[in-house]
Amino acid sequence: MSNAIELQDLHYRAGKSFAFTNLNLHVPTGSIYGFLGPNGSGKTTTIRVVLGLLRPRAGRVTVLGRDMPADAPSILARTGFVPEQPHLDPTLTVRETLRFQAAFYPSWDRTWAEQLLRSFDLDERLPFGRLSKGQKGKVMMLLALAQRPELLVLDEPTDGLDPVVRRDMLTALVDYVSQREATVFISSHLVHELERICDWVGVMDNGQLITELPMDRFKSGIKRLQVVQAPPDLAGTPFTLLARESNGGACESWIVRGWEPEMTMYFDGIGASLQTVIDLDLEEGFVELLRTFRAPRG
Amino acid sequence: MFDQIDPRSPTPLYAQIATRLRLAVAAAELRPGDALPSVRQLAARLRVNPATVVQAYRDLETEGFVEMRQGAGTFVRDVQPDKRASERARQAVALVRRMLADAGRLGVSVEELHAAITEEIEVRTP
Amino acid sequence: MFRVILYSQWKWSRFIIGLGTVAGFGLPILSVQSATRTGDHPLQAGELLQTIQSWGALYPVLAAALAVLVAIATWAPDHRGRHVHALTLPLPRWRYALLRFGAGLALLAPPVLAVLIGAGLATALAAIPAGLQGYPVALAARFALAVGVGYAVFFAISAGTTRTASAILLVIGALIVIQVVARVAAVDLDVVTRLQILLVNWPGPLAIFTGRWMLIDV
Repeated sequence: MSNAIELQDLHYRAGKSFAFTNLNLHVPTGSIYGFLGPNGSGKTTTIRVVLGLLRPRAGRVTVLGRDMPADAPSILARTGFVPEQPHLDPTLTVRETLRFQAAFYPSWDRTWAEQLLRSFDLDERLPFGRLSKGQKGKVMMLLALAQRPELLVLDEPTDGLDPVVRRDMLTALVDYVSQREATVFISSHLVHELERICDWVGVMDNGQLITELPMDRFKSGIKRLQVVQAPPDLAGTPFTLLARESNGGACESWIVRGWEPEMTMYFDGIGASLQTVIDLDLEEGFVELLRTFRAPRG
Repeated sequence: MFDQIDPRSPTPLYAQIATRLRLAVAAAELRPGDALPSVRQLAARLRVNPATVVQAYRDLETEGFVEMRQGAGTFVRDVQPDKRASERARQAVALVRRMLADAGRLGVSVEELHAAITEEIEVRTP
Repeated sequence: MFRVILYSQWKWSRFIIGLGTVAGFGLPILSVQSATRTGDHPLQAGELLQTIQSWGALYPVLAAALAVLVAIATWAPDHRGRHVHALTLPLPRWRYALLRFGAGLALLAPPVLAVLIGAGLATALAAIPAGLQGYPVALAARFALAVGVGYAVFFAISAGTTRTASAILLVIGALIVIQVVARVAAVDLDVVTRLQILLVNWPGPLAIFTGRWMLIDV
């Protein structure tokens, strides 16, 4: 099974406001896939479809080699989920919550659950409803990890949490992935957090997956060029010119895709001079990608 | 040791980790026989993809700085002193190159740079 | 799995169950206190039946209250999280619903048993005038059925899925229709008569709540 999650020609509609058509997405097995996109782009909806919480109008959803929603119970037995909003019974204490969850998963690891409880510094006697937001996040992460899943799906797990909690949760996540072969599908708009750990990136905007590729190709693919004295009209560029901005005077900032080092010769040909080539980090690349994707063609 | 790891830098993360470790071996911070942190520990500490750490360690193994022993971990190899010296020299050149490039961009002349270096060295050397 | 579900529902409904059990035990006892007063001349049959009948009106109220509250408490833990937790557990939805339903029924057992024990005790201790009889078992059985039926209906409604709620109401409606048709056609349907004997009343299951609840009767 090469892809842990596969969405093929997915069509979904919820009322008049939101829909996606022809969504195709692949999460390779064993990868840490960062699912990026602005708010409202459809990330949570996609995740819900993957978990069988929502039924698509058309298309195929294959998770861990099985069909969703037909095989939902067997898929969910091997999938850990950390949702955006706390979804657990607020009256149960942390200890009781763990006991509840453990009853449903034969793969539950009690020793590791205890370890995480200690490293997350959680008071097991407190009812879930009375925990702070960060502690709730940690509990939900704990539940998903102690289950020892093959696939972890996280929907903005660190959203609104302080940096210390975020660090703890990501550390636990990375620790888990280094212990066993697991696939992680994590959505977030905290781009720099994902930058460190993800090896695949999928960008969603307005119900469409506008790009999906390995992280290093995404990062190296988009660059900013500082160009001086470029003519207003350009015949044909060897790279894809995504945007062109004036920096004042004859200096311009170009955002390009598909840059190769040999292409510096192009600038000699048009009588301009290339000053620097700057790598964009993930966040900048993401912003530029969205900007060009949303700009009217023409 | 690893606080300079910067995901936003154009250098890939695995290369940054490998460089830092290479330097540690060259500067004898890590001695032959010392164990490197396990992939799991280092990945968790840096909050990076474990595959990144594995790649760094593999690169170091190819270059002959460490050896990965199945089941036991990754250990520093006996590295020739001149190899360590040449590694340090390489790092020094890279540092100077970066400094000159930055200076050029800021409009600092070589003479001004030289003066600043001399002053700083005097200040730092007791 | 059943144990942890039962535990979580217990946490939500223990107060209701406690009160319901006390009330269920006390109701029959209180209804015959006029007949157990020593020293007084024994009550006339008519007076006793009056008291029994007026107290009897509280049984359906108690049954309905227990049914509604326990049904709500059954789904309360899931409602807060919009059922997301339950839906991401590795078991089919119907099985989960069945476990919740069963847990609710298990929790309703103590109040029902309390009625049985209280009714038994009441009829044993009361000085019943000649010509009258105590029906503790029948009363308790009727109470159990009322609670069961009410709980099933409110369970479906409380689950929040209109589909299940309509299905259940449809079944109840069908039972009513069968009985009506049987009556009108004067057909002696075995099923219907057995149902009638079980449910005691006409025209249907929900009517179990109406009518007179007599611990002691002719």
